[in-house]
Amino acid sequence: MNALDTTTPIGATLALLPELLLTGWSLVVLLVVAWRHEGERDSRFAGWLSFAGILLSLAAVLGMWHGDWHSEGIAHMVALDSFRYASATLILLLAGASTLLSLRYLGRQRLLAPEYYPLILFATIGMLVMAAATDLILIFLGLEVMSVAVYVLSGFDRYRRSSAEAALKYFLIGAFASSFLLYGIALIWGATGQTNLSLIAAQLAGGAPTMASLGLGLLLIGFGFKVSAVPFHMWAPDVYDGAPTPVTGFMATGVKAAAFVALVRVLDQGFIAQAHQWQPVIGVLAVATILVGNITALAQESLKRMLAYSSVAHAGYLLVAAWPGTAFGSGAVLFYLAAYCVTTLASFGILAAIEHVGSRTVLIDDLEGLFSKRPWGATSLAVCLLSLLGFPGTFGFVGKWYIISSVLREGSWILPVAVAVGSLISIGYYLPVITAMTFKPERTIDAHRQVAFSRAGKAIVAMAVLLILLFGVWPTALLNSAVRSARTLAPQAVVTEVP
Amino acid sequence: MAEIELVLRHFLASIGYAHWILHVLLILPLVGAVGLLLSPGSWARWFTLVVAALEFGLALGLWFAFDPTNGGIQFETTIAWIPGWGISYHVGLDGISLFMVLLATGMMPLLVWGSWHSIQNRRRGYYALLLALKAAMVGVFISLDLFLFYCFWELLLIPMYFLIGVWGSANRLYAATKFVIYTFAGSILMLVAIIAMVWLVGRSTGTYSFDYDHLLSNSAALGPAAPWLFTAFALAFAVKVPLFPFHTWLPDAHTEAPTAGSVDLAVILLKMGTYGFLRFAIPFFPAFALSKTVSAIFVTLAVAGIIYAALVSMVQPDLKRLVAYSSVSHLGFVMLGIWGSTVESVQGAIMVMLSHGISTGCLFFLIGMLYDRRHTRQIADFGGLARVAPLMATAFVITAFASIGLPGLNGFVGEFLVLLGSFGRYPLAVTLAATVVIFAAWYLLWAVQRVFFNPMTNPENRTMRDVDLRELAVLFPLVFSMVWMGIYPQPFLRRTEAASRRYVEMVRPYLPPPANAAAAGAAAAVVEARP
Repeated sequence: MNALDTTTPIGATLALLPELLLTGWSLVVLLVVAWRHEGERDSRFAGWLSFAGILLSLAAVLGMWHGDWHSEGIAHMVALDSFRYASATLILLLAGASTLLSLRYLGRQRLLAPEYYPLILFATIGMLVMAAATDLILIFLGLEVMSVAVYVLSGFDRYRRSSAEAALKYFLIGAFASSFLLYGIALIWGATGQTNLSLIAAQLAGGAPTMASLGLGLLLIGFGFKVSAVPFHMWAPDVYDGAPTPVTGFMATGVKAAAFVALVRVLDQGFIAQAHQWQPVIGVLAVATILVGNITALAQESLKRMLAYSSVAHAGYLLVAAWPGTAFGSGAVLFYLAAYCVTTLASFGILAAIEHVGSRTVLIDDLEGLFSKRPWGATSLAVCLLSLLGFPGTFGFVGKWYIISSVLREGSWILPVAVAVGSLISIGYYLPVITAMTFKPERTIDAHRQVAFSRAGKAIVAMAVLLILLFGVWPTALLNSAVRSARTLAPQAVVTEVP
Repeated sequence: MAEIELVLRHFLASIGYAHWILHVLLILPLVGAVGLLLSPGSWARWFTLVVAALEFGLALGLWFAFDPTNGGIQFETTIAWIPGWGISYHVGLDGISLFMVLLATGMMPLLVWGSWHSIQNRRRGYYALLLALKAAMVGVFISLDLFLFYCFWELLLIPMYFLIGVWGSANRLYAATKFVIYTFAGSILMLVAIIAMVWLVGRSTGTYSFDYDHLLSNSAALGPAAPWLFTAFALAFAVKVPLFPFHTWLPDAHTEAPTAGSVDLAVILLKMGTYGFLRFAIPFFPAFALSKTVSAIFVTLAVAGIIYAALVSMVQPDLKRLVAYSSVSHLGFVMLGIWGSTVESVQGAIMVMLSHGISTGCLFFLIGMLYDRRHTRQIADFGGLARVAPLMATAFVITAFASIGLPGLNGFVGEFLVLLGSFGRYPLAVTLAATVVIFAAWYLLWAVQRVFFNPMTNPENRTMRDVDLRELAVLFPLVFSMVWMGIYPQPFLRRTEAASRRYVEMVRPYLPPPANAAAAGAAAAVVEARP
């Protein structure tokens, strides 16, 4: 009933419904802001308009998921499976939350400009395409749409030098990474004559020629840049630090989520027969990322930079989850992505509320005494940090437990220990923040007076904290859903001969 | 007496006590903590006192409802929590955990009384944390699912961290951070070990489950991984005990914590480590844990801890630090008893855990009272207090004697049983440990002399108040139970015997033959002679 033939125009259109809806909507938003871009009011209107579009697209995704739309035969270009729907849901929720967090922030930091919300929507479209694509070319297309929008967004604060520096750095390195990716795709095409993941898997089932392995290696490097895996992480802290805080939250979560789901799809669907070749690479990247990310985070004084390095470390945990290449492992990627994204976005949301107008570096010491002035904000941040640390009773703990389980199942001992050691190191930088907020007295009488949560920001943070605690205690439904979704990733049997 | 017990047991059975009591003990403090945060701050103390008294009153039923002849798990309940992932809410009690739960809940009202005046700021938060801490403690001792156990084990850190960090004394920040980092470092590898165990057992049996019984009955499937897994478990527990080289967090945490925090640390937290060895680490990996080399390492560390801590205690200028180090010494006896692996030594270990909780808890209360009056804990600042505070001096002297292990008080029973039960296996270690009891007498009595009896050189001490009624209400139950347990330990021993016997029978096949067969024979003869 709900089977779509993605080779027909109607089938392909329906398969891309959420992306197309959002594209149409973002053009409308673009038109609207071209007419009305006077003050904060107009900017907020555009924000709410974008939010409505995101909800529309989300409804489409959920409808497709609920209706169990799937493709006849192998999926050409676009996947129609639960893995895509689950990742698209996550991405859209992140985009919606980032939009709401920006509403007040832009006005407060004098960043009013009409193109902000359309750019967020464009980036979201790119992410959705990445999550949906089963073809290397389409993955690249999605990646570029997303990246170009995010380059601009990270340089959005044009009055600050560091923001411009972030944008330029991100752009140069991102372009570099894209070229790696593209060259990898070209080599794989040269070796197999295919760009569709299932067809590549069919071609490589008997073993990969050197050219294909080389292509896969380049592909991994490209993805490594995008997910900020060590040693390709150098850009991340500077870019995260320089970008406006809601954008940083969006980058640290959405971009990472999209890159990871695309990476998992490529590895599990296209190159599962080559697992013995890419597993050592992923393993080494993971361990290096966990160690370097966590150790460097120890030395940070700025909260934002600390969160940036911690997000590098979390990319390492996610790589560990990607290592097994099983449904269980990919489910762990999805689950941990959800845990990490909810927590990180909430942290950046709180940070955005704490930031003063003008000076945008919040040092960890600046948080001293926050609890006595802002008990709810401080408690929320503490819950987020405990979740990132992986404390029992939080979303993050269940995620880490799931990752360790999925890797131990495949018989690796080093990776779980690396995750454990990484968590141990991370207590060294999460705990001082909590200590500063609760144990130390505020420095000046009017400290924290400028802390201003918008109503939408409050709602987002409160919701995220509730989710963190809820899924920390009752994760069953989400765990099962993650595994079920990941199971749809298995390479599809190619029945017909390739035309 | 026996009749009353019988009537009570029937009454408890008629209200289905065994089915709901553990859940109530777990949930009541949590509900109390939430209720406390929502109620006005001026109610905080009375509210907590009512919750604590209710909790203890309910827990007291365990004493009667517990069947001493049954060495297995009682009051057992299993509810699926994360089905499909082999995680359940599985709780129960046996003779080992019974007293830990009673101790934890029994201390509760005393803790509230003890902090009645000494905590002035942020009372609501303080008492809410105290209640949350209690829930986590009860959870640790009743969990029979390793996932559940790990959750409670870690959750306990948060309230303790804030209790030390917010309400502690001068150097509290350092102490709180050190405490958390040490414990977290110890336990994070345990998480990996738990998951690895579940996976290894699951692979060989086909059932992936975190259930204690399932893992225990299939622990043979762990095979060559056992040494690694045991090391991870042992590290987590050794830090908590604290076993000799891992003990450095303890004096800091004890000293800087507020009185109630120190008492909770001494009474319950330290027991979690030894409990972990008895419940998890050794039963899961008996062949490795009780092998010659590993036993030698642990017994050596235990004896080293006993001696080292006694020597260090002697030179402490700070009264609280002195008592803190004495804990390391006492817990060394527990470890020795556990590795002694006879019914006597294991029962002795449980008794030492219990009596250390009571006597050291009482000492910390007394030191807290001294501190409330004089705002110092330096031994040198006191002297001749017995003249102005005779009641306090009496309590302190009795408690010190109990801590030393004077016959007729509770400390003696446990230590004696440990030494008796372990002698056959470790004659040298036991001889050394027994000798060190002299040091314990030395440092504690010397401290008592300097605080209570030397001439009163400091004029500030002249006006010090004796204990008031509230403080007496804290001290009396503790001193009373010291005497009771010392004179008539039978009700306690009766309840621990079956569980200890079951434990010893479980590990006996894995014990290497004792080093000194003749000594073992002698010890066995003593064992047989006992009724």
